Amino acid sequence: MNTQESAGAKQRRSAGKLTGAALRNLGLCLYALFALFPLIWMIICTFKSDAEMYNTVFRFTPTMENYRAVLLGTDYFKAFLQNLVVSGGAVLLTVVAGVPAAYALARYDFKRKEGIAFQILSFKFAPEIMVVLPVFLIFQKIGLYDTYFGLIWVYQVITMPLLIWVVRGYFEEISVEIEQAAQLDGYPWFQVFFKTLLPLIKPGLVASGLLAFIFAWNSFTFPLVLSGFQIQTITITSLRYIASDTIHYGQVAVASMIAVLPEIVACLFIQKHLVRGLSFGAVKG
Amino acid sequence: MAQIELDGITKKYGSNTALDHVSLTISDNEFFVLFGPAGAGKTTLLKTIAGVEFPQEGLVKIGGEIVNHVEPMNRNVSMVFENYALYPHLNVYDNIASPLRSKLYRHDEDSIKSAVERVTKMMRIDGLLGRKPSQLSNGQRQRVAIGRCLVRNPNVFLMDEPLAHLDAKLRHFMRSELKEMQSSFNSTTIYVTHDYMEAMSLADRIAVLNKGKIEQLGTSQEMYYTPCNEFVSTLFGEPEINLFPAVPVRENGRLRLSVPGGNLLSLEPDVEKLLGSRGDEAYDIGIRGGDIRFSFEPRDGWIAGTVYASEPIGNKVILTAEVGQTKIRVTAPNDTRADLDQPVFLQPDMRNAILFDAEKKTYLTRSRAERLIGTKTPQTAARG
Repeated sequence: MNTQESAGAKQRRSAGKLTGAALRNLGLCLYALFALFPLIWMIICTFKSDAEMYNTVFRFTPTMENYRAVLLGTDYFKAFLQNLVVSGGAVLLTVVAGVPAAYALARYDFKRKEGIAFQILSFKFAPEIMVVLPVFLIFQKIGLYDTYFGLIWVYQVITMPLLIWVVRGYFEEISVEIEQAAQLDGYPWFQVFFKTLLPLIKPGLVASGLLAFIFAWNSFTFPLVLSGFQIQTITITSLRYIASDTIHYGQVAVASMIAVLPEIVACLFIQKHLVRGLSFGAVKG
Repeated sequence: MAQIELDGITKKYGSNTALDHVSLTISDNEFFVLFGPAGAGKTTLLKTIAGVEFPQEGLVKIGGEIVNHVEPMNRNVSMVFENYALYPHLNVYDNIASPLRSKLYRHDEDSIKSAVERVTKMMRIDGLLGRKPSQLSNGQRQRVAIGRCLVRNPNVFLMDEPLAHLDAKLRHFMRSELKEMQSSFNSTTIYVTHDYMEAMSLADRIAVLNKGKIEQLGTSQEMYYTPCNEFVSTLFGEPEINLFPAVPVRENGRLRLSVPGGNLLSLEPDVEKLLGSRGDEAYDIGIRGGDIRFSFEPRDGWIAGTVYASEPIGNKVILTAEVGQTKIRVTAPNDTRADLDQPVFLQPDMRNAILFDAEKKTYLTRSRAERLIGTKTPQTAARG
């Protein structure tokens, strides 16, 4: 093979590489457009008046009327805050109760351990609508209907199982000798937990905590049935713009758009924790 | 600075008995080695002393006090774990500094720095201080683990196979370093290993553990020269001790032993006297490769066999001879050349043969044992 030929081949190869990259990016752009289009359309809708709502062209007179109606005309902010309290409270309770539960399921040997672990996971299988009626009746009786605590409590059904299962996996991956070494180094159990175990389970804890938050934030069935006038979550409030005579799509769009903001912000902040792999290489093998 | 007493320690995992009524007293400043095959319960015993495993029965005493209900952190023991147990999220420096940063053993950062420097120099890992455990080789991780153990001055050092993953040269160096350090530190050390050379070179005393029980307790010499049974005899020495059956034959008022190959071996007077007082039951002869003379020329009265294998290992050649069905390993000088299946003639030096009861597999006698181990007779640990 002479050098000219090989140079030509090289050129061809690099040209091929370039086209490949261009095609790949084009494909990704098209997919992004496809995937994000509903969101883009929703954002466009927020600036449309009800009259122009059914236009399928991009030409319209932008208006801030929807924003004014939702943000100033209703108690949207109150619902937003209440949703934050309920979801945040639910995640907090899930972490505080779920991490010790996960630890116990990972470390201790007790009767029917796997059965209990699976039972916890199975809470996630049942549709919410199936349990919501009995819970409604019970809550009415014991006075938890339409309270923060009632909702936070019942949210555990949707937030806790996932966290327990993810964090349990992380605990199982940490060799028990690491804990024992920390004990022998002179640390009491809570320091062993906070200084040694917590950093190692952090990726799993943060990721599953975020998912738990999203589940709680988006929950619809539970707050629909179990809350009334005192507590209003954002998913329920958004319903209000669907009146009996007309549906204010623009206002619904505004409500939804603001509702997804906390989730997007949270996701961006903890993106790096969603990558697993911290505890690898700790133990020989 | 503490004596350790174990009294009837029993530990079960489900239906598996890891430790079966183990009783031991380890004196102050002793370098004590726990030795035994895999799964013998060595690590469990160590963890029981550390307080991270709890025995179902029995008492653990450190410095005369019962510590069964004392938290590990308050026992003032320091341990090297077999799987290193380094903190994956901390770098080497912080790993080693960890014991000095706990509230209990708190030091200021300056003295931590000098202490960490001291041990990392000794472990030859002073160039790796900024690395995470995942960026180290197994040998380096092991040295970090040893460093974390040695950085403070506890009552008891517990070391679980601390040199197992080091290369041979470093292992030799660390062995002498540990021995040296232990004598200067004035603290009790319990050391787990399955390497008999490590055990013999380091130990003040050795306990051989098997299936959760102590088989024998004694000095290196006692283990090597007067093993309490055939199991212990096979654990010490390379090549493994030769064990073959022997039947007593009485003729003309003399007692000799008939061995595979049909030869009759004469006995030392003291051994002959002892065996003469017993019945005619069979024995097992245990003899180490170095105590067998060999020749490739026929010799009168020597056992005839053929060369089965010849392995040169540097300073010596391990010659395996086949006599009937029995294989006998002989240590030969390193210039020995042997062809396979070539005839070879062996003569065991009966002055150094160990006689075992063929049925119970326990130690009976060897000629003038006191010249090797003093006046003591081998002691078997009391069985529960």
